[in-house]
Amino acid sequence: MRLRSFRVRIALLSVLLTGSALIGFGVMSGLLLYNAKISRLDEIMKIQLLRTARAQQRERWLTYEDLLPHIFGVDADTPIAFIVQDTAGDVLYQSQQWPSALNLFSLWLPSPQIPSKPSPSPSPPSSLPQQNQRAKVLLPKSHLVTWQTPSATWRVGAATFSRSRVAIAISLKAIDSEMMAIRSIFLLSIITVLLIIAVATWGLSGRALRPIRHLTQVIQQVTIEGLDRRVPVGGADLEFAALIQVFNQMLENLERSFHNASRFSADAAHELKTPLAILQGELEYALHKADPGSSLQQHLGSLLDEVRRLSSIVRKLLLLSLADAGRMNLHRVRINVSELLVQMLEDIELLDPTLTVDAHIEPDRYILGDRDLLIQALHNLISNAVKYNLPNGWIELSVQHENDKVIVTVANASNTIMPNDRDRLFDRFHRGDPARTRDIEGTGLGLSLAREIVRAHHGDLTLAPETSGQVEMKLSLPSQS
Amino acid sequence: MHLLYVEDERKIASFVNAGLKEHGFIVDYCNNGDEGCARAMDNVYDVILLDIMVPGKDGLSILKTLRQSRRNTPVILLTARNELDDRLEGLNLGADDYLAKPFFVEELVARIHAVMRRSDVDHHNILGQGPLKLDCMLRKVIYQDHEVELTTREFNLLEYLMRSPGRVFTRTQILEHVWGYDFNPSTNVVDVCIQRLRKKLDPTGAPSWIESVRGVGYRFRMAEGEW
Repeated sequence: MRLRSFRVRIALLSVLLTGSALIGFGVMSGLLLYNAKISRLDEIMKIQLLRTARAQQRERWLTYEDLLPHIFGVDADTPIAFIVQDTAGDVLYQSQQWPSALNLFSLWLPSPQIPSKPSPSPSPPSSLPQQNQRAKVLLPKSHLVTWQTPSATWRVGAATFSRSRVAIAISLKAIDSEMMAIRSIFLLSIITVLLIIAVATWGLSGRALRPIRHLTQVIQQVTIEGLDRRVPVGGADLEFAALIQVFNQMLENLERSFHNASRFSADAAHELKTPLAILQGELEYALHKADPGSSLQQHLGSLLDEVRRLSSIVRKLLLLSLADAGRMNLHRVRINVSELLVQMLEDIELLDPTLTVDAHIEPDRYILGDRDLLIQALHNLISNAVKYNLPNGWIELSVQHENDKVIVTVANASNTIMPNDRDRLFDRFHRGDPARTRDIEGTGLGLSLAREIVRAHHGDLTLAPETSGQVEMKLSLPSQS
Repeated sequence: MHLLYVEDERKIASFVNAGLKEHGFIVDYCNNGDEGCARAMDNVYDVILLDIMVPGKDGLSILKTLRQSRRNTPVILLTARNELDDRLEGLNLGADDYLAKPFFVEELVARIHAVMRRSDVDHHNILGQGPLKLDCMLRKVIYQDHEVELTTREFNLLEYLMRSPGRVFTRTQILEHVWGYDFNPSTNVVDVCIQRLRKKLDPTGAPSWIESVRGVGYRFRMAEGEW
């Protein structure tokens, strides 16, 4: 599984790296420490083996055994044992603690080269100096090995002398427990350090990412209304300052082109209005002057209708461009939505008397809003429901109060809308499947304008989830009780 | 009835003037704001029509001056400018109605009557044509001494036509006045509504008060001497 969080990844990675470095270091130093301890034991062992070269009486061995813990520098509980045999293999002395599991033969076996010559005997004729001679004779005889018996681990030193064979065994229990203590201390501190590192890198990476988080917050606030937002460069780090500058530059370009676009359509709509007003006024005047029922009057009438349609499109475009610029100012008054819809019920019957109308309108549901614009939005929903209905179809209207919202639903019988049409329903100039809508008049602006109007009122207009054979629009607006 | 009309676009002013005069209004016209403001302060008008974008003092300032000096003459604002903002400000300043360009002169006439009715200046609260009487205040229709029940739309439609007897209205004009500006012009809603109205007014099937003008629209028949 891939970790999605950069901070978690950074923290884990640094813990992993430091952890493996520390563990490697710990293992190495543990080994060195262990070896050092063993070699210290070995040194003492060698000296002691030499000391036991001279055969002694049993009583002396006893005393010697008592002294051994002191000599090795361990406490009295540590088992130390030794055994002395003569060359024939008879035991001269054996400690009680001597671990019987130790194989004595293998201990002394690797000394076949040991001559039967007594070690303290006069040195053989040789050109070598005395010291070397001693070393050569004595040291190879001592044989150090670590033995594992069922009960404990022992370090055993064995030496063969001219008259006796001696083996000293010291239990490694003490060293093992010391090592164990060191290991646990070490482990504990590693875990602590790793935890600290994890927390620290988590915090540090958080700090490092703070400019990015800040940037994210600002970007989130960049909507059509917030295009003028900029990220303050301020004391940002060098690495992020460039990013912020680029981002600000991008916002500025975006804002400029957006404003240009929306100002263009606002200006165009405005500039179109005066000539339209003149055209419409003159036509209206001429219409009234023409002889009633004359063909001139008919032509003027249809011209007037076309001009009016043009004005309506211009007006919608202007409203949409205002909505885009976030400047759709509303003249808010208290509106009885229920009453408006009851009035519109009458229109449905006038528009298409064959439709079955089913209305569930809760009385006196008030909202605060712009009357003209809301009537326009509601008109649009209802006239769509009539226009895109099936022959002898039905319309269902409801007004409800739900969680501080007034919900208006308009449902009608319809052919199933294609999924890609559903997505584009609110797009400007979108007019659905041409095969079905060819004969239906409209500009494809109404629904998108209706939605902008509702949104300017802090409400929303949505298409209800697909149900076969019907289309349902749901409009919700903050209620004003 | 005496109107003041302030508008700088000459072509618009010409047909609006002509239309208003045809409806029997006496129109005092001027093409700049300063003169308009002076006239509005000096004379008494029944209704003032202000274009917002005029040279000199703009429509909104004139309205402000009027209201500040406590003149409550009904004011209708006309504009082609960014209509939402202006409407908002105008209504806040105390305008009585608002009409966005392009508008129908007939619509303007209807609005003038509406604001006058509200300010109780209009003496034509009862429209009468022969046996048909329309009480615009009580929204009642009396036909041959019987009250006729009309829906809101039917009443508004009848009132609109009756205000200008003999004048032809296109379906679009009727739609815009009675249903609001955004109704689909190709619907037959006007025709259906007119048919119902005819049935309610003339259940006997006598020649209707509302005449169809072929290919254009409808008009209200003038009462003849026989009534």
